[in-house]
Amino acid sequence: MRRMVIISLLLFVVLAPGFSTGVQEKKAGPVTLTLWYPAGEITQTTRAYRDIPNLFAAFEAANNCKIELVAVDYDTMQQKILTAMAGGQVPDIGHISTTWMGGFLKDKGLYQVPEADAKAWMAVVTPEIQALSDFGGGKMYGYPNWGIDIYGLFWNKDMFKEAGLNPEAAPKYWADFRDTSKKTSVTNPDGTLKRVGYAIRHLGHPHGIVDKWHWLLEGTGMKFISDYNLLKGGSCSFNQPNARAGLQMAYDMVYKDKSTSLEFPDPRDCLLKGLASMQISETISIQVRAPKEAPNLNWGLAAPPAMKEGTKPACSVAGWCTSVFAQSKNINLAYRAIKWYNGKENDYAQAKQFMVTPRYTENWAKEPFSTDPYIKQFKALLPYARVYPRSLALNGIMTSIGTAVQKILHNELGVEAALVEAENTANAAIKALE
Amino acid sequence: MKNYLGLAIRRKWHYAYMFIAPIIVLFGIFRIYPAVQTLLFSFFSINIVSKEYKPVGLKNFLLLLEDNTFLRSIENTLIYTVYIVMLSAFLGMVLASLFNSKFAFKKVFRAVYFVPFITSTVAAAVVWSYLYDPKFGLFNMLLRLVGLPTRGWIASSHDALASIIIFSIWKTLGYNMVIFIAGLQGIPDAFYEAAIIDGAGPLAKFFRITVPLLSPTIVFIVIYNTIVALKVFDQVFVLTAGGPADASTVVVLQIYKQAFENYRFGYASAMAFVLFVFVILITIAQYRVSRKWEVQI
Repeated sequence: MRRMVIISLLLFVVLAPGFSTGVQEKKAGPVTLTLWYPAGEITQTTRAYRDIPNLFAAFEAANNCKIELVAVDYDTMQQKILTAMAGGQVPDIGHISTTWMGGFLKDKGLYQVPEADAKAWMAVVTPEIQALSDFGGGKMYGYPNWGIDIYGLFWNKDMFKEAGLNPEAAPKYWADFRDTSKKTSVTNPDGTLKRVGYAIRHLGHPHGIVDKWHWLLEGTGMKFISDYNLLKGGSCSFNQPNARAGLQMAYDMVYKDKSTSLEFPDPRDCLLKGLASMQISETISIQVRAPKEAPNLNWGLAAPPAMKEGTKPACSVAGWCTSVFAQSKNINLAYRAIKWYNGKENDYAQAKQFMVTPRYTENWAKEPFSTDPYIKQFKALLPYARVYPRSLALNGIMTSIGTAVQKILHNELGVEAALVEAENTANAAIKALE
Repeated sequence: MKNYLGLAIRRKWHYAYMFIAPIIVLFGIFRIYPAVQTLLFSFFSINIVSKEYKPVGLKNFLLLLEDNTFLRSIENTLIYTVYIVMLSAFLGMVLASLFNSKFAFKKVFRAVYFVPFITSTVAAAVVWSYLYDPKFGLFNMLLRLVGLPTRGWIASSHDALASIIIFSIWKTLGYNMVIFIAGLQGIPDAFYEAAIIDGAGPLAKFFRITVPLLSPTIVFIVIYNTIVALKVFDQVFVLTAGGPADASTVVVLQIYKQAFENYRFGYASAMAFVLFVFVILITIAQYRVSRKWEVQI
């Protein structure tokens, strides 16, 4: 017995250092800030982290710090951040989607931009950036990045011409949009579709489906929640006559007109591969992919169709944000870093380098933004820009609507039943967070 | 107690306990403790970051009864489990019977059937998502070649669950086959020789000798496959993410969504606890029923 005790003690002494928690002694030297951003090409706004060497060099030199850039898998990034927050191991800065911010705010996870800085920012940026920045009463929890994306209608001009339509003009209203889809679809001898008129999104995460159908949903006047600025509370009312009419139209395009189908790939892939004459999606995605994947594609870009004459189109605006996490151990330094990074000079230089939209009103007036044809097309969509609600229950709201659209398109539920179910689920999600 | 301790010391059982102590401790930390914690969490509304715990009594469980998506996930999970257990076990037994005899390249074929089991589920599911593509996938291409109508597979709410079941059968068949082969090799040849003498044909031998004597293995396979099937997640997450339109959603996926997308940890814990109860009850029921017809050599 005594021998066992001695052996155990010896083993403990030898092995114990190996089980240390890995906490290293604080080394003297520059403070290291970590910045997490989504890996891959999920957004163009991260190209700066990948393509510009020593991106933060000037700031690092002036503040005796180092900024470590960490690419995180996009599909699980939101969950990883939440887990990191729960474990107290959150990075200092995050390059995060504006649709995630509600969830982090629910847990008081984001540092609020000082009021004076927020006011100064709002005074110099464009209206859609103001909308993306504002979390109620002018409060900001980060800086939306350059290169915001907006949803637009892309069409194949050659296919329009082939169908006897004006290749330079996109359909403006739902009636001619539906008609155009019928005229530009092509069927095989066996009756199956060879090419759809309008490529639709019906698979994948419900949020993605809401993004792709946002033009129709908000185009009907339907609101995702009663007050878009409320973080908590509010209510949802989806079962409206116009919303029913819009979703019925989508359903009829699949099953009555047969001008589109559930068997075709992602809408952007369809357009680029010549399998569709129209699709509505993020504009930057096509701008970047078309030269590589479809160099001969003769495409047009316009606002999605409005419901009818007298109504306006709805263009979803999505953005990414550089934010400081509230648990950061170097909050002030991290905030100075993001403020520096989102300054006017960096905004102009990076937007110009990657040919995307800047944020400062003053930069819009400079070359090449004032004359570039793509940027001008993009700018034409901005008056119709709509941002998502700020609600902490946004996840639940979008999941309920996205699921409803799926159920309608897949014949699981009728239009009214699906919208009623979505309304109940969304309201339950809001109530659960009160 | 004193007698037991005396006996333990005389027989040096403390050495044995010291050797198994680490695994028991780890099991307690990583299995028992989280299970108990999950049960406790299910009675609270939790903010995981600020560590705020608001007691809600049975509210989370009552909400489950009104949650149509959760009820759908239970339905899908049970359907999935029944098909997987029945088909995968049956086909595994058939293959094992075939591979228990001698023929050329037997080991190669056995390896071919076993390889899917050791392949990463996520990697395999990614490949199968391309095979299932309704427009360009291999499966529809083959159907078109033979003149059959194509299917929507994972793009169709009617076919999505079936598509996942087919993938899972392909994935688990090899393991079941190997376990059955081990069981078959434990059956003495004397029984088959006696059956041949009595004039029994192949089917009679299979149903009168093989199946009864293989019953302990069958019980194990059924229980093991049931437990694994009730906890299915990876392939559903990769292939369909529970869609389209919740057509293929399963319980574990709902737990994940509620916890990590909707941040409702207490509610997700209630779901996890319900699943735990399901698994325990079904396992106990299966075990009790199977003991009645189990045959030991």
